[in-house]
Amino acid sequence: MDFAVEVNNLVKIYDKKVRALDNVNLTVEAGKTFALLGPNGAGKTTLIRILTTQIKPTSGEAYVFGLNVVREGSKVRKLISYVPQEISVWTDISGYENLLIYAKIFNVSHNEREKIIDEVLENMGLTNVKNDLVRTYSGGMIRRLEIACALIIKPKIMFLDEPTIGLDPVARKIVWERLNFFKKEYGVTIFFNTHYMDEADLYADDIAIINQGKIITRGTSEELKRSLGGEIITFTLETFSLKSEILQEIRKLEFVKDIFMENSNLSIVINNAEIALPYIMDFLKNRGVSIGKVSITKPTLDDVFLKYVGTRIEEKGRISDIRHMRYMIKKG
Amino acid sequence: MMETLKNILVMIELELRRLRHDRTEIYFRAVQPILWIVIYGPVMSSIRAIPTGGVPYTDFITPGVMIQTTTFVSIFYGLMMVWERDSGILKKLLVTPASRYSMVIGRSMASGVRAIFQALIILPIALLIGVKFLYNPAYLILAFMIIFFASGGFAAISILVASFMKTRERFMGIGQAIIMPLFFASNALYPIQLMPPILREFSTFNPLSYVVDAVRGLLITGDVSNLLLDLIAIAIFDIIAFILASISFKRIIE
Repeated sequence: MDFAVEVNNLVKIYDKKVRALDNVNLTVEAGKTFALLGPNGAGKTTLIRILTTQIKPTSGEAYVFGLNVVREGSKVRKLISYVPQEISVWTDISGYENLLIYAKIFNVSHNEREKIIDEVLENMGLTNVKNDLVRTYSGGMIRRLEIACALIIKPKIMFLDEPTIGLDPVARKIVWERLNFFKKEYGVTIFFNTHYMDEADLYADDIAIINQGKIITRGTSEELKRSLGGEIITFTLETFSLKSEILQEIRKLEFVKDIFMENSNLSIVINNAEIALPYIMDFLKNRGVSIGKVSITKPTLDDVFLKYVGTRIEEKGRISDIRHMRYMIKKG
Repeated sequence: MMETLKNILVMIELELRRLRHDRTEIYFRAVQPILWIVIYGPVMSSIRAIPTGGVPYTDFITPGVMIQTTTFVSIFYGLMMVWERDSGILKKLLVTPASRYSMVIGRSMASGVRAIFQALIILPIALLIGVKFLYNPAYLILAFMIIFFASGGFAAISILVASFMKTRERFMGIGQAIIMPLFFASNALYPIQLMPPILREFSTFNPLSYVVDAVRGLLITGDVSNLLLDLIAIAIFDIIAFILASISFKRIIE
């Protein structure tokens, strides 16, 4: 059976110096929702643009349902649809007119056109506003219209680049409810990029974490969290750093699986945090470490990212993220 | 071929739908040509400094002014492609089964639609100040067909330029820098014979001159002796523009 997406040793270098993708290998099963999770600038968009035949890789190969994206680009384009990160509908015509134009570009036959447009409008919850100018839509409605445009051809796979960037939580939830409905109804494979960990966690069947052009780890959300080995106790220390001998000593404790220190936060990975907590508190107190705050967390994908990359996604993403958001807002 | 034709029609439909919702741009763009024919024309006409072959000066420049405006419309159409590059529209269009060159030709010809509306809006004002048009429906239709196809060519040129500029601010400046020389080094405001020899040479390669000559013949003077040459020149210009724009188009995306 062909995979929905298969990528072998893919490399993309921009302007002979920027290595956007560095030997990426990846397979995605058909009918699954797959998330490519990583901070901005990790290479997510580059990978999607190669898979959607917009740009050519520097080396390596990529296949969509067994079709080579470079050599068989025109066949690939008949199977896929794509929603870019930026606004991709005409805002000076109505939602219905956008769908009509795309239906014509996609060669949807004359008799089916009206039926399909009504159907996608209904499914995306846009029937009431179909004759309004897109300019008057909210961000969430524009996103749903873009997804509606992508659904016109009933694609075998949809590529979504940051599908919910800039949307409020309610709008985000609606977008995903609609996407999941379509996935169930038509068995479409969904391939999406995101830097929101909770989004990957909630909606993806399968996740790959990417950083600086390399796939760092992959698996289901559960598998990734389990790979951290358990629950995490985080101590916010009143001192900013901790002697490395003390860190070594903690690491040697038999129930401690892993520890990492970030600023004044000491995180310890343990199977059962509730039982271990009093012991570690005493341990730290005896060595003169004063503790400001303690918290116990079940692992999140952010912790997975922290373990494999050494920083948090949020921190890496923050400045470029704000810049991007402002840019989007400026453009309206 | 059918595919390309269909995409051209879809892009034209898109443009018509846009115009139906919002025509303010067309109204504002009409201000400048109206100034040319309402103020500049009569003033120059009273001096009688320019030999126009017996035609009143304002009548003489009306086709030229019309073509100048429609060329403006087409050249700034490339600007819209740059805008669409900034937004995701162009990326999404490229991922559809439509071929890239059919997108280029389709978008270019769509600007021809805008150009026709732009030219039409000038007609009643010219009539009002007394410009005498030939009342030959066949000539009128042919003149507007020429405007349509020539605008497509100029829009393709603007896509070509846009593929090198990539930012709106740069493009604005370049747009002006292309149109004004084309306009002044053409027969739009004065016969080519009045120009210095070097400029006269340049004018031979200026597509605007052929368009103005054809449209002036069909709308004002009735002199269509050069029409065939004009049509061939415009066709060659369109083909070259479409080919160059199609080749450079991928630069816009990358």
